[in-house]
Amino acid sequence: MKRSKRFQVLEQRPVNQDGFVEEWPEVGLIAMGSPNDPKPSITVQNGKVVEMDGKKRADFDFIDRFIADYALDVEKAEEVMKIPSVELAKMLVDINIPRSQVVSCFGAMTPAKIVEVVEHLNVVEMMMAVQKMRARKTPSNQCHITNVKDHPALLAADAAEGAWRGFDEEETTVGVTRYAPFNALAILVGSQTGRGGVLTQCAVEEATELTLGMRGLTSYAETVSVYGTEQVFIDGDDTPWSKAFLASAYASRGLKMRFTSGTGSEVLMGYAEGKSMLYLEARCILVTKGAGVQGLQNGSISCIGVPGAVPSGIRAVLAENLITTALDLEVASGNDQTFSHSDIRRTARMLMQLLPGTDFIFSGYSAVPNYDNMFAGSNFDCEDFDDFLVLQRDLKVDGGLRPVKEEDVIRVRNKAAKALQAVFKELGLPPITDEEVEAVTYAHGSKDVPNRNVREDLKAAEEMMQRGITGLEVVKALAKNGFIDVAENLFQLLKQRVSGDYLHTSAIFDKNFKVLSAVNDLNDYQGPGTGYRLEGQRWEEIKKIPRAMKPDDF
Amino acid sequence: MEISREMIEAVVRQVIEQVYSKEKGKLSDSMYQVPNEPSVGNGQLRLLEIGKALKGNKVDEVVIAVSPEFGLNKAQTITGIPHGVVLKELIAGIEEEGLKARVIRVKRVADLAFLAWEGAKLSGSGISIGILSRGTTIIHQKDLQPLNNLELFPQAPLLDKETYRAIGRNAAKYAKGEPTDPVPVRNDQMARPKYQALAAVMHNKETQMVDKNADTVELQVKWA
Amino acid sequence: MIDEKRIEELVREAIRSLSISGKEVKSSYNPKQNVSLEDYPLGLKKPNLIKTATGKSLDELSLEGVLNGQVSKDDLKISPETLELQAQIAEQAGRVQVARNFRRAAELNVIPDERILQIYNALRPYRSTKQELLDIASELETKYNAVLNAAHVREAAEVYESRGVLRRE
Repeated sequence: MKRSKRFQVLEQRPVNQDGFVEEWPEVGLIAMGSPNDPKPSITVQNGKVVEMDGKKRADFDFIDRFIADYALDVEKAEEVMKIPSVELAKMLVDINIPRSQVVSCFGAMTPAKIVEVVEHLNVVEMMMAVQKMRARKTPSNQCHITNVKDHPALLAADAAEGAWRGFDEEETTVGVTRYAPFNALAILVGSQTGRGGVLTQCAVEEATELTLGMRGLTSYAETVSVYGTEQVFIDGDDTPWSKAFLASAYASRGLKMRFTSGTGSEVLMGYAEGKSMLYLEARCILVTKGAGVQGLQNGSISCIGVPGAVPSGIRAVLAENLITTALDLEVASGNDQTFSHSDIRRTARMLMQLLPGTDFIFSGYSAVPNYDNMFAGSNFDCEDFDDFLVLQRDLKVDGGLRPVKEEDVIRVRNKAAKALQAVFKELGLPPITDEEVEAVTYAHGSKDVPNRNVREDLKAAEEMMQRGITGLEVVKALAKNGFIDVAENLFQLLKQRVSGDYLHTSAIFDKNFKVLSAVNDLNDYQGPGTGYRLEGQRWEEIKKIPRAMKPDDF
Repeated sequence: MEISREMIEAVVRQVIEQVYSKEKGKLSDSMYQVPNEPSVGNGQLRLLEIGKALKGNKVDEVVIAVSPEFGLNKAQTITGIPHGVVLKELIAGIEEEGLKARVIRVKRVADLAFLAWEGAKLSGSGISIGILSRGTTIIHQKDLQPLNNLELFPQAPLLDKETYRAIGRNAAKYAKGEPTDPVPVRNDQMARPKYQALAAVMHNKETQMVDKNADTVELQVKWA
Repeated sequence: MIDEKRIEELVREAIRSLSISGKEVKSSYNPKQNVSLEDYPLGLKKPNLIKTATGKSLDELSLEGVLNGQVSKDDLKISPETLELQAQIAEQAGRVQVARNFRRAAELNVIPDERILQIYNALRPYRSTKQELLDIASELETKYNAVLNAAHVREAAEVYESRGVLRRE
């Protein structure tokens, strides 16, 4: 065939580097509405669910049973289930019906019912609903701090810059698993240098992650995954009971935590039972609710390439965020993984969460270049900072970031690297040299910093855990070396565990360690003039991007 | 659930065509042919089952645990590296360090961490390499939690021949108890948008070959 | 078919009664005082109600104290009583399940880190026999007075048996 020049041009467009697949419902490669999804139903006898979504109690798998016994409000379930789904869908977008009423209804719905309700909404209606249903009134943002070398000083500098730019939570993970203690330590010190009160976590295997938290090297946890089919839950090496126990274990140490799930994980792991991605995700969200966990990271997360490849997949991703909010859970709403080669596509996908605002619009905006992002890249990275700031300003929307000055960023990066250098010295860890401090201060990414002696680092990281180093030793090391303000911030952060206020739904800290959660900052959106409004000092801050020219200068 | 061979072939063909159409041109028809007798394997690599895999007692062995579909059907990774080549490199890496490889197939699970963990428990040295059909690889040790690892290579599209050899070498070094530098981590943030849906299709093929009650078997490896 | 009016009624009814149902789970920790939503955040508004696991007050926790050795890592631990207070807050915010989680947490508070990790791992699939799980439940009950968690582990043992996720010998 003689080729059309237009088609040849189109072929070269970034979007055509993306993978797309037609639906394959038999294995669950379908975003919403698989022919194999069950029809909503419920029967309650003597306060017990004896039948749910067409399945008898005797046939329940462990997920069904956990949801039926712990997530559902059995007293209301039969009544709410009788309400036509389209009416419940209208409640989501009706500004005259307050959030609390919708939460009550969703708490009494089965997974199949929930999915049937949200299927009535288009994406604009879903965004309206998220604006009303998200738990915390003030929106916020989370970032990823990682690098391909697991370079501790670079992690500290990037964590400081991320905190300075406005992220309220920071998440790290590892290139090499055994680096975990160093990575956790590095972003802990870095974050508290950038701004006191920023929460940090280290995403690694569950038991290791809990240990790091118990030691005071992290302040919350998120990578606690749940899945929508029994087989995949087992492949994930857990059950709803082990995960619920883990949730209580975190709370028992005064540590905030949320679960993680997302559309596409079950089909990617090969056991979706032919069910749609959204139906299985609804089950994950209800397991989270039943476990009494305050929140959930979802929005497909690491599986975004799967819903992203099928029709209505990105709508399903927004729908899963919406269901999370409607069940009164904190949502850290994805956008945290590379999803497309196309700038148009990745921006459109991100607006679904930025415009309505969520508890954490990104559950990992890459505050490092994507080549250094060890979550295999995020939807936005540090090279998009200025685009993101302009979007906030163009649309008068609060995405959690603020414009910053270059000299300030250099200053906090340098201070964080020096603080970590002092901590390493004090704790007898392999030294961070002055050259490394200098390099990370001005670096864009790990290509700009020298290599570490990995073998020595890993040995020391292991010993650090064996010696039982805790956050308190880090506080002492900082104070002893003159980093009193950083030591004070870190100490305050550890002290917050004692009162447990930040265990509550959607909790974050401001720079004075005042907690802001869905208890004292509950979303009260009910139409224009209500809810969170971007105004006053915060709007002035967002307006002032450094590149805007002053009329007086002409 | 009944899924016909034709359907699987059609979907896989479609996805592969979409993914590969850009840089590799059209692929020949032969790569889609699913042999009628799955235990035969393809022409390059023959994996013969020689009985139930037992716990090894030689400390100088590293177990390579392959997934239910590895070496069968298409017998190549997500980027088209033949499984025969992958296995050769892993074994060569292990032998370079003076150790021996023992290849087993785990049939009851297609989850990488779990099949490698099973391999590690059967390994005389306690060290194993686990590998899926699509090429994703892990180095495991018997005393770790199943979802933990010594080294994990989650991005199959980035793994080339050299990396597989290095993985073999490192696994052998762990087995000898030598200090070991991890294989340098590679990262391509664009692998997901390009390959993840294909990975889902491939993995569903793999899990359809899982037999929950089947024993893990010892394999004899032959190259044609 | 139900008409619009009936729907409205149902919705209203549902909403009315969803303010905390009767089946509350009480924990074994009874703080001297109860708290309400207005008292949140407790650390700010009711600091006098909060004691660390070692019995220190929030005032006694300072950086200075850390540096002169008066504050140890055990002084930075939340107490079961505080977790019970936070459970009351969650309950009043309508979050029944969160409250239940905080009460399970209150019971786990006194159990050493190491043992917590072991129990968690024992609850993972194919790790334990039924008897091993039942033994853990008894230990939780008798040694730590952790009745909610004991019930949780017992239920797990039963579910794992019926779903085939106990350890295979």
